[in-house]
Order: sequence, then structure tokens, then C-alpha cells
Amino acid sequence: MDKLSTIIKNPFSRRKFLAGVGASAGAVATLNLAACGGSGSGGPSSPTSPPPTTTTYTDADILNFALNLEYLEAQFYLYAATGNGLEASDTTAGSASPYQTAGTVTLGNAAMVPGLPAAQQDILNEIAYEEQEHVRFLRSALGSAAVPMPDIDLSFFGPLAVAANIVTSPTSFNPFDNFDDFLVGGFIFEDVGVTAYAGAAPLISAAGVAAGYLTAAAGILAVEAYHAAYIRTTLTANAIASGSGAAYPPIADANLVETLRATLTVGNSAAPSTTGSDETTLTVPPNLTTASSIVPASPTTAIAFARTVNQVLHIVYGSATVGVKSGGFFPSGANSIFATTTA
Amino acid sequence: MANQETQVLDEIIVSSRRKMLTLGVASLAGLAVGASAIRANAATAYSDSDILNFALNLEYLEANFYYLAAFGTTIDVANTASMNAKALTITLSGTVGTAGTVTGGSKVPFTTIPAASYATETAVEEGKHVQYLLTALGSSAVAQPAINLSTSFATLAAAAGIPNGASFTPYDNDNDFLVGAYIFEDVGVTAYHGAASLLTMSANLMAATGILAVEAYHAGLIRTAINAIDPTGTSIAEYTNMISTLRASLSQAGLLGVAPSAYDSNPDDYGLANTPVSLAGGPNVTATRITDADPTNVIAFARNTTQVLNIVTGGGAVSGTTETKPAIGLFFPAGMNAGPNGFK
Repeated sequence: MDKLSTIIKNPFSRRKFLAGVGASAGAVATLNLAACGGSGSGGPSSPTSPPPTTTTYTDADILNFALNLEYLEAQFYLYAATGNGLEASDTTAGSASPYQTAGTVTLGNAAMVPGLPAAQQDILNEIAYEEQEHVRFLRSALGSAAVPMPDIDLSFFGPLAVAANIVTSPTSFNPFDNFDDFLVGGFIFEDVGVTAYAGAAPLISAAGVAAGYLTAAAGILAVEAYHAAYIRTTLTANAIASGSGAAYPPIADANLVETLRATLTVGNSAAPSTTGSDETTLTVPPNLTTASSIVPASPTTAIAFARTVNQVLHIVYGSATVGVKSGGFFPSGANSIFATTTA
Repeated sequence: MANQETQVLDEIIVSSRRKMLTLGVASLAGLAVGASAIRANAATAYSDSDILNFALNLEYLEANFYYLAAFGTTIDVANTASMNAKALTITLSGTVGTAGTVTGGSKVPFTTIPAASYATETAVEEGKHVQYLLTALGSSAVAQPAINLSTSFATLAAAAGIPNGASFTPYDNDNDFLVGAYIFEDVGVTAYHGAASLLTMSANLMAATGILAVEAYHAGLIRTAINAIDPTGTSIAEYTNMISTLRASLSQAGLLGVAPSAYDSNPDDYGLANTPVSLAGGPNVTATRITDADPTNVIAFARNTTQVLNIVTGGGAVSGTTETKPAIGLFFPAGMNAGPNGFK
């Protein structure tokens, strides 16, 4: 099945960037976030020379961007579930990809989460399987256009936790050491995955829609939301069972992750649950008449948030700097024409 | 209690079990086929308004269920509980079609904070979805049709084979509420997913995508809650398998006899039974099934309007290989409301 390569060759499927992806002249901003960025040195990443302000992209570029994120999620969950990552054959380049070298995974603390009861191990197995299948599906859909896995740094959880004020030392947070910390680690990705697919879906061309790519993207978006709901519901239920949020620190850690993500989301850095924010704070209902806050959505319309490609990159690179092309979980950058933040 | 509705359901279950026909989409080839199958079953002159109105009918249904369960009132009548939760009181401004009343439903006497808080949150959010669609559709918005939130659940529960199903009510305790919610949520996901590729205006697509995401959050929330209460599947988790089997049968019948070879042989609805999976080429391990998706590619299912109608009307949308229009039954005793080219 090579429909995608047919679409790539079809000039009618190429379009200019929509607003939000292309940068306007002079709109370079730097935010000084200590300990963000791949080096962990405590300073902001240095911006590269400004990229072109407009470019054209294809449906394959959109799917490949998603594939980069799925590689990251799949590696995290597979290591957490099994102590091993993706099979090498699931990380290689398609023959027509401009990126030809599969990256490596810097493990950090990545290892099978130890001693889980069956009910929790089964959850890890499910999510790991599903992200693995997303990698495989996108690679199959992209065929020869599939990008290989970029370098992935699973040691970034530590610096990220420091940047979020969860801990003061990067060695003090390890999402692989127990189930609660795993929930916080997964939390970093899941709402982001939903917003990424929500932002990307409307960018698919009419030809891509006819070929089923919008349906596929929407279907993966739904699965990411199931995952995010699992994590948010479990964090909430654990806090309720503990008697309060204060009695269950992981929920506060998750909210600190939200605060950090909001800070990194250039173009919408409003604090969680404030006007216009793309994040909804996790609350602990104290009685039978108070609502929970499982669903991150607009308080006006209850419609889920969407993020631009740039905003997603800022989060996974751990940098709010415009013109950054690598960092955070992607120490060599994403394998994507979108790899450099332009806004 | 045998009636026309249960007879239809019984026939569908029996014939579907004989055929073992299922829906699934595993590859891009399958996706292309699926997409055209979805289109083939839609009216040729539909508009974005028709699609959004179809969604509005479903939101009327869901919102009233959650308002009644959480607050003890319908979406258009404020009471103390709904006001305390800051739930919208909806002015039923839709005019297209025939306005009907909501029957059944009562406030669940919750005893556990998780179920109570999920009901409250979901009610508030579904009310906002109703309002969003009413505002977006303006004078094109359909009126709220007659909605049966009383006997429908028992009819479905009995047809699904749930123990004592004929007396099932989702309003009597926390666990039964979760089962009642389960009946709706995955259906909402598949309905919005099926509609997404049909919308023509980008703004409508973005809204539908955002609502799809919320429906999936709701479904994930309910499935997580049920799985946590019954991880080994001896009670309410097992009921989800029964409900999913029934929905898959009704959904398959909604495909009007489309050749089963066009789809993978797996149903388009899964309950919470654990399933074996292979991770990175390793031996099978046990996995939960919080996510309701096609297991071959883990993409959420999509349904066309006939399939969704056949579920929510309990088999009222098809008769063999022909569509029944309007589809009437179960939750929609007078059918949905729709514009002249819309889906009902």
C-alpha cells in the first residue's frame, strides 16, 4: 500500500503553512528557563539562525511528525512495561525518507517498573502495546516515506522534573521506579498527544481526507484521550482514596507538569485553568457534589484543546525558545521538516 | 418483557451470532474502504449542519442522562444541585423537527466520591456541548426529540444478557450508574469519529475533533472506573463485555449487509475483558482494555449514522439489508430530529 507516496507526488496536495506554524519576521522570543534544554546545564538552548517563514508541507510530513511523538511514547511505555524498547525493525527509515539513520535511546533510568501487581502490569502492557501499534500503523501508512526514530533521551525526565519544581535534583525523579511515578511520567505525554493530534487533524489535505488519513488521525487522537483519561482518572481516584491531594503527592506533581507545559507553550502560556489556558488543573473533589476535572477542555465549550506543531515541540524539547531545533526528549531534534520551532 | 423492541434486538443478536460478522479496519486499504462505506450510507445532499444536528441529537440524549443522574433534573430545568455545580440551564432553542419530552431518570444516591464527581463533571461538560451546538447551528438547530431514559436501559440490559437485566436501572447506585454511562460513551466516540471526515468547514472539523476528544476522555474515565472496581471481570466489568457485544451486533446490522470480507473479522466494540498482546516481538502478556479500539492498529472505531442510529434505537434503523427511516426505538421513541436531508 503506497497511497501516501502517490499523494506526495501530487502537487495539488501541497499547501502553504497555515498560521501558527510559520513565524513572522522578528518574532523571536527567548525565555530563560533554568535546566530546560537537552544539556541540562541550566541555561536556555541557543537559537539557530531564523528558519524560513513559510514552507509547504504534505500529509506525509504531518504523519511523520506524529510518528516522532509515537516513537517517544512507545519507547517510554515499552521500557516501563518490559525493560526493553521497540524492536529495531520498528525504528528504521523508509527508503525514500531524507532521514536515513535510526537514532538511539539514551536510557537514563529506563527499566521495567518493578514489583507491580497484575492489575497495574496489565495497564502498562496495554498502553505499551497500543503505542507500539501506533508506531507500526504510521510506519505502514507512510511506507517508504517513514522517518526513522530520532535520538531519544529518556534521561530527560530528571531535568524536566527539576524545571517543573517537582524535585530539586534531577536524580530525584524516576518515572520507572514505581507505579505512581510512572503515572506522572506518562502524564507528561498524554494530554500533549491529544492536543497534538487535535492541532494536526485540520491540516490534512482533501486528498488525505479521501484516503482516510483524517479518520486515522482522529482515531489515534481518541486513543490518546483514552490513555490520558486513564492517567488523570487514576491520579484523581488515588488522591480521593488518600483523603486529599496533600496526602497523594503525585497529583501535585502532575499539576506542576501542567504548569511547566503551560510555560513552554509559546502563544498560550496562561497558567492551567486560567482564561485561555490549554491545561486543566487536576482537582480532588472532597465530597459527593463536587465535580472532578478529568477532562482538559475549554471551561466555556467543554471542547478539548489543540496545540500547534511549534507548541508541541516546545514541550518535548523542553524549551520555549524560538529557533530551537533539538533538546529535551529529542537531543538531536525530531526527524521532521517541522523540527525547528518557528514561533 | 417482550415487546417489539426486544424482538428486534433478539433477532439481530441471533442472526449476528450465526453470521459472526464484524467490522474492523486494519490497513490503509481498509481505511479507504471504510471511509467510502461511511459515505455510501450518508444522504448525498447532507451538509455540515446535518452532521452537527445528528451530533446534537446524541448530545441531548447524553446530557439529559447525566443531568438526571447527577442533579435529578433535565438540561432545561435548573435545580439546586445543577446550580451548585454551575451546570448550564439550556434554553431549548432548537426548532427543526418535533419537540418531545424526556421520560425517566432520577438522581443517583451516590455513596462514593469518584462516581459522584465523574457524573457531575460529565453532566456539566455535556451541557456545554449541547449549548455549543445550539449556538453554532442557530436557526438550523433541531429541537430536542422525545427521549426515553427509563425503560430503555432495562430493554438494553435484558437484550445484552445482563443478570436481572429486565429490572436494570442506572439510577439506583454508583455501579449501575457507571454501567449506564458505559452504554453511551464509546458510542459517542464512534459517532464523532465517523462524522469527522464528512465535515467540510475547518471550524466545524476542529470543533468535532475537540468534542471527539472529550467523548474519548469520558469513555476512558468510565472504563477506568469500572476496571478499577471490578478488575477481574466478575460483575460490572463483565457487563461491559455484554453491552459491547450487543452494540457490535447492532452496529454490524447497520452496515446493511455489506460484504464481511471488506472488513477484518473483529467487532467494532470491546468491553473490558483482558486481552493478550505481544510487546516488541516478545511472548504474549496480558493487557487491560481501557481503550476501545481496533486491536490490529489501535485506532478508535468509527461508525456511520445508520450504525449509530441502529444502536441508539435498539435496532430501529434497519430491516435486513434496507434502512428504516425514520429510525425509531429505545432512547428515541419518536426518532431523532433532522433537517430535510439529515440523518434520522
